[in-house]
Amino acid sequence: MFVTYVKYTLYTVSPQLVHKKGPFDARSALAYALHNLSCRLMTTTKELWENTLVELELSISKPNFSTWFKDTHVVKIEDGVAYVGVPSQFARDWLSTKFHKDILRSLRGFADSIRNVEYIISRSPKKAVEEVHARGSAELPLESVHSKTNLNPRFNFSTFIVGPFNEVAHAAAQAVVRKPGIAYNPLLVYGPTGLGKTHLIQAIGNHFRVSAPERKVLYLTSEKFSMDYVSSVQSGKVQWFKEKYRQYDLLIMDDIQFLAKMEKTKEEFFHLFNYLHDGNKQLVFSSDQHPNMIQGLEDRLKSRLGAGMIVSVTPPDHESRLAIVRAKALAHNFILSDEVLEYLATTIEGNVRELEGALNTLLIQFEMRGKPINLNDAKVLLRGASSAAKKAVSVQEVVKTIANFYGIDESSIYEKTRRKEVVRPRQVIMFLLREDFHVSFPSIGEKLGGRDHTTVIHSCDKIKNDLTTNSMLGQEIHQIRLMLK
Amino acid sequence: MKFECATNDILSASALAARFVERRANLPVLAAALMVAEKGRLILRATNLECGVEVVVDAKVSEGGVVAVPAAVLVGFLQNARGKLVSAALKGEVLKLETERASASLKTIPHDDFPVLPKVSASSSFTLKVADLVRALRSVTHCASTSAVKPELQSVLLSAEGGKLITAGTDSFRLAEKTVPLRAGTSVPNLLLPARNATELIRIIEQGSGDIEVYYNEHQISTHTGSVYYTSRLIDGSFPNYQQIVPKSFTTEAVVLREDLQQALKSLSVFSDKFLQVSFTIDPGHKSILLSSRNPDIGEQTTTLRATISGEGFTINFNSRYLADSLQAISGESVRLQSNGPGKPILIKDAADESYFYLAMPMNR
Repeated sequence: MFVTYVKYTLYTVSPQLVHKKGPFDARSALAYALHNLSCRLMTTTKELWENTLVELELSISKPNFSTWFKDTHVVKIEDGVAYVGVPSQFARDWLSTKFHKDILRSLRGFADSIRNVEYIISRSPKKAVEEVHARGSAELPLESVHSKTNLNPRFNFSTFIVGPFNEVAHAAAQAVVRKPGIAYNPLLVYGPTGLGKTHLIQAIGNHFRVSAPERKVLYLTSEKFSMDYVSSVQSGKVQWFKEKYRQYDLLIMDDIQFLAKMEKTKEEFFHLFNYLHDGNKQLVFSSDQHPNMIQGLEDRLKSRLGAGMIVSVTPPDHESRLAIVRAKALAHNFILSDEVLEYLATTIEGNVRELEGALNTLLIQFEMRGKPINLNDAKVLLRGASSAAKKAVSVQEVVKTIANFYGIDESSIYEKTRRKEVVRPRQVIMFLLREDFHVSFPSIGEKLGGRDHTTVIHSCDKIKNDLTTNSMLGQEIHQIRLMLK
Repeated sequence: MKFECATNDILSASALAARFVERRANLPVLAAALMVAEKGRLILRATNLECGVEVVVDAKVSEGGVVAVPAAVLVGFLQNARGKLVSAALKGEVLKLETERASASLKTIPHDDFPVLPKVSASSSFTLKVADLVRALRSVTHCASTSAVKPELQSVLLSAEGGKLITAGTDSFRLAEKTVPLRAGTSVPNLLLPARNATELIRIIEQGSGDIEVYYNEHQISTHTGSVYYTSRLIDGSFPNYQQIVPKSFTTEAVVLREDLQQALKSLSVFSDKFLQVSFTIDPGHKSILLSSRNPDIGEQTTTLRATISGEGFTINFNSRYLADSLQAISGESVRLQSNGPGKPILIKDAADESYFYLAMPMNR
């Protein structure tokens, strides 16, 4: 009865065994079948290794087993090679010299496709144990930066405030998140400092990290990239450097304008860009100006950056500033009256970072005093921070900045020359001195090498007219204004 | 196996080796020091599989051989054996040791299972003054975590860039970083040396002088100093990106004499509670810092320090041990304390030395 049952069970597992001629030995057949069965069922490498360990434990002394096989695991099985993860070089050296044959034999007993065993040092995927701290001390926010991706989890879309000044950039970022590698690739966000470029591009990364955890994301600054490249050259590991960056599915690089000055890094960046872009990997960059305005950036890079989407962020308008202050205060659980919020939004006209700084000043005062901040307190505390007082810029400074911008000699501005490359910058200087700094026409003329005031008026009119037709000139003037701030 | 050597030499070598054995190991041979006698020298080897050491002693070897003996027993005998010379001979499974006045028979342990010490190829290395390496490790090792939850925090970070070696340690409540110049080797990737092994390394090298060369690969670090070879495993993990949390600007800055602060903390510890809490009140008006500690069962104490203060005043509580620890690595006369107010970490530096900083979090109660 029992034999029949075993035979039947075995038939379902391995028919050829039961049909074998000769007397039927139930016990050995059962053992064989169970072995066979276990091999089939051993779907995971983890089980395979566990079974191997059970067998090894019998053939090796207990102390030896617990010393050397504790914390081992199979990392992967590839092309008939089992890669066994061991905790240290001690274990690797010892297992490969002393126990290699035993391990291989046992492994092959369970999976005959395995032809060799390699040992690699890797930490076993242990579960972290939660520990209760009873130290009474606050912790350093060491976890604030995700170490694999460099992303700061604080920067995400839900804390990003959208207003007319950045809605295009925000929409582009959302499109990238929905269709990475396809929608806009590369995406470049540019604009002056402190307007949330880093926040926006990191938010893309953070969103990606949650929605597609198996994909590899990296955020870094161009400076870090360059430093990494230099040290890889020093230690002769350029190939390793290349491979490291080519594995990512989403690469986010901040402040790429700094690449312009670094010849070799720029070249490496170019190759990396091509490699990732050809593989439909998403690229996201930020810069403080439009790529066409970045001096020293080659045309081939400019055109590639332009192939995706270039969006700008501008300083926030009053309503947006108000919304930002309100949101930031709320994030700190810091209650401010509407009039104080209004005051902040009105007086701090600059970038979002200044706004945050002013809010922090109030926050610290609030924590120290323990009573609410009223409008008067705010006025006193933020006396120095108001951006209403625009700093006076000397004519020499304006000339210097603009001459630098156009790459011409500062002194040529004051000379009587009418060379084309000098005339245009000189006209721009006159225009800006008049428009932005309200210097009188005669005084502009006098300061720029004793010219007649009618010359100045003509120059200003000329630039004004050109501005309506020449968009390139508009870009230039925008850039110069940013530099003069 | 038969050899003869100076008692002092073999004693100091086996005492060093004994520090590296694993007494509670499953494998009995790990509690042993391996003795290898060969042409004119005796090599002692010991390892706990985390780190290992090899010491060479001059010896008159008349018959080479290998033997493993329990390190603690060996040291115990040698410490109390009178006489300048020790002679040793292996008879069967027993090692016979003899000095002028004492003799002992040690049962040996089968040495077949004694592991090999990993060797690190010389391809990647950096060199610096021994004193600098000791200083760099000692400044930060005590900050490493003792909890096994995060192996990367149980380690000391070693990395170099631009010809400077940077070491750092943190247990997430405080953080220390020290920078020392390198003699050779400009850039080193982040290496995580277990803090316990770093302490042993300090002990081995602290007597030395001159330069020391440290070899490393992805998993192992090693160095030679005098007759000692040291090797330790490295932790596979990534050290927290701590540069980002070190504040760059401060609302308050105070400079005090180091000795004053040290003394104040010591005296306050008499009255501190089980959390070792001390309270700091920075008072720019009186140019002073008021420190106080209070234990409901014992009483309370206050101490005033004279200080140069710029910025705003505030009150903040700290674990006094965290503050006292910071002063270990500071040798200058005055100490600079910088903070951004209550609830924010305090940055402590030698007022005249930028190569070291210590960041401590306040108490959160």
